[in-house]
Amino acid sequence: MNETKVEQMLRAAGACVIALGLLLVPVLFPSFLVYQFSLTLTYAIAILGLNLLMGFNGQISVAHGVFFAVGGYTTAIFMTRYGMNYLATLPFAAAMSGLLGFVIGVPALRWQGLPLAFITFGLAVLVPPVALKLEPITKGATGISLTKPAPPAWLPGDQDTFIYFVCLAGIAVCVLLAWRLMRGDTGRSLRAARDNGLIAESLGINLSKVRIMAFTTSAGFAGFGGGLFAIVNAYVSPESFQMTKSFDFLVASIVGGITSISGAFIGALFIVFLPDWSADMNIALSGLIYGGVMVGMMLVARDGVVGLLGTLTRAAIRRLLTAPRSGKSLSAQTDEQPDGRQYQT
Amino acid sequence: MQLFLQQIVEGLASGAIYASLALALVLIYRATRIVNFAQGEMATLSVYVTWQLNQWGVPFALSLLIVAALSFVFGAFTFRFMIRPVLGASDHTMVVICIGFFIGFEAIALWVWGADPRAFPRIFPDHVWIIGGVRLTANNLGILATLCVMTLALSALFRFTRIGLAMRASAAEREKSPLVGIPVETMLMFGWGLAATVGFVAAALIAPSLFLSPPMMVSVVIYALAAATLGGWDSPAGAIVGGLVVGVAESLCATFVGFIGNELKVGVPFALMAAILLVRPQGLFGTTAVIRV
Repeated sequence: MNETKVEQMLRAAGACVIALGLLLVPVLFPSFLVYQFSLTLTYAIAILGLNLLMGFNGQISVAHGVFFAVGGYTTAIFMTRYGMNYLATLPFAAAMSGLLGFVIGVPALRWQGLPLAFITFGLAVLVPPVALKLEPITKGATGISLTKPAPPAWLPGDQDTFIYFVCLAGIAVCVLLAWRLMRGDTGRSLRAARDNGLIAESLGINLSKVRIMAFTTSAGFAGFGGGLFAIVNAYVSPESFQMTKSFDFLVASIVGGITSISGAFIGALFIVFLPDWSADMNIALSGLIYGGVMVGMMLVARDGVVGLLGTLTRAAIRRLLTAPRSGKSLSAQTDEQPDGRQYQT
Repeated sequence: MQLFLQQIVEGLASGAIYASLALALVLIYRATRIVNFAQGEMATLSVYVTWQLNQWGVPFALSLLIVAALSFVFGAFTFRFMIRPVLGASDHTMVVICIGFFIGFEAIALWVWGADPRAFPRIFPDHVWIIGGVRLTANNLGILATLCVMTLALSALFRFTRIGLAMRASAAEREKSPLVGIPVETMLMFGWGLAATVGFVAAALIAPSLFLSPPMMVSVVIYALAAATLGGWDSPAGAIVGGLVVGVAESLCATFVGFIGNELKVGVPFALMAAILLVRPQGLFGTTAVIRV
């Protein structure tokens, strides 16, 4: 058995464990925590979108809270104004923020690198004032309250459990979509555009098309997550979409690992549960940890928790597979131990 | 007409503050090719320390001087311990680190001094002159004068001193400068320290009108980013002009464009920034980077 095969099996096993764990959440946890897990899933969708853009396509965005907000408001407005079914609003939420992503993605072709960071930073700051200004549509500071969807009568379990499973279904669709995108030609051209635009272009990849596509899809994901957030939270206001939301997504993406799909879940758990837990001690603690983690991760583990786990398991597999053969390879192995990191690069 | 002139004066005064912070950003960018999103938060921390010293009974002028020096050390240390290990990494890494500083430094201010806004004393006296119906306050004139003095001092430093020459050399040729005996890393540290002091001046000037609170500088950073982009990231003179233009544009739009008003005025720098990046990405005074393949 070779190393890659073992690694693939471990990956598949890991995915199964995560899926099983997610399915069992309503059984294992009380209803308040189930609500928080639903929030986690909606954030994870937005973070997944951010990973597609930043990790797989190399475009910086500090503004995924903006797309999240657009999705949230779209769902809220369509549900209250036009009395639409909550599920029917979700495609619109994704489409609206996808459209915004397209509108930003086109000029972003000229803004690659740092300028894109300033522009998205500016956008993130602009959300609350714009939401306040568009009072006729967004109801300003009062915000929009929604009614939580009731579970169908034939289904066991309470409302929170039902909403949790709606979110789980939503994220399943997104993960599947992201996974399909990343495995095929699209994924390869996205990564090629990230690693070296010039070479990608000379290999026949239409750089502009790929980048715009990435921005639109990524924004669409975030909008979809935002729509689900509005349903879970049953209320949206400018307060829910402060600039810090965009930063939270960035932190989560970095913590989980920007080039991974499972990292989105880890990151989302981090930004939902850490502030709750740390607020008991000091209100500033979560900010301090976020800042420290961002700087620290960049100094030691740029691929986040998932990247770190990958490196460790690869080293462990290598050791297990090579150790029994002969003393010689064992000694070679121990020589390489201290720089396990080099193996990955 | 009077209102128009009045708004220009107000715009110039706030523009001078944006210009100072933009100057700090440009100093760092020229030295290390990093855009320090956290410049404003670092400056807020410095202003808090000044306020604290003042509370403890240190005379105001003396505390300003002490903190100006402390800011320099703070900037230099930030560079030495957190930026230098990753120097030369991708823009993406640097943006994440700087946003990490942004969140972290704001949290430190919140932790130590709490969220309640505090009054910060004005540096300049409350005197008003009225010339042709336009109110000129001593504060506004003082801010503009400070900007002029700071600009002159910095240009003199860069043009006439050995250390300035060494700093310019390290910024321009990081690999080759050590060959002629320039301690590049010390110079880059010096650049970060200088920027932190300049940022502190900007924050100390604006603190009396905004009130001192941990997120005080968040929107000011947007104006400074717009100013630096407008002027061109490698041009200190551009940062000054950019800052003044952004200040005046903001003040005029907030007064005369009904839709924007006071609530949406943070959109003005954003729009200016987007426009200049589309039309002339290198900024008004910047030079185009030539990429050899």
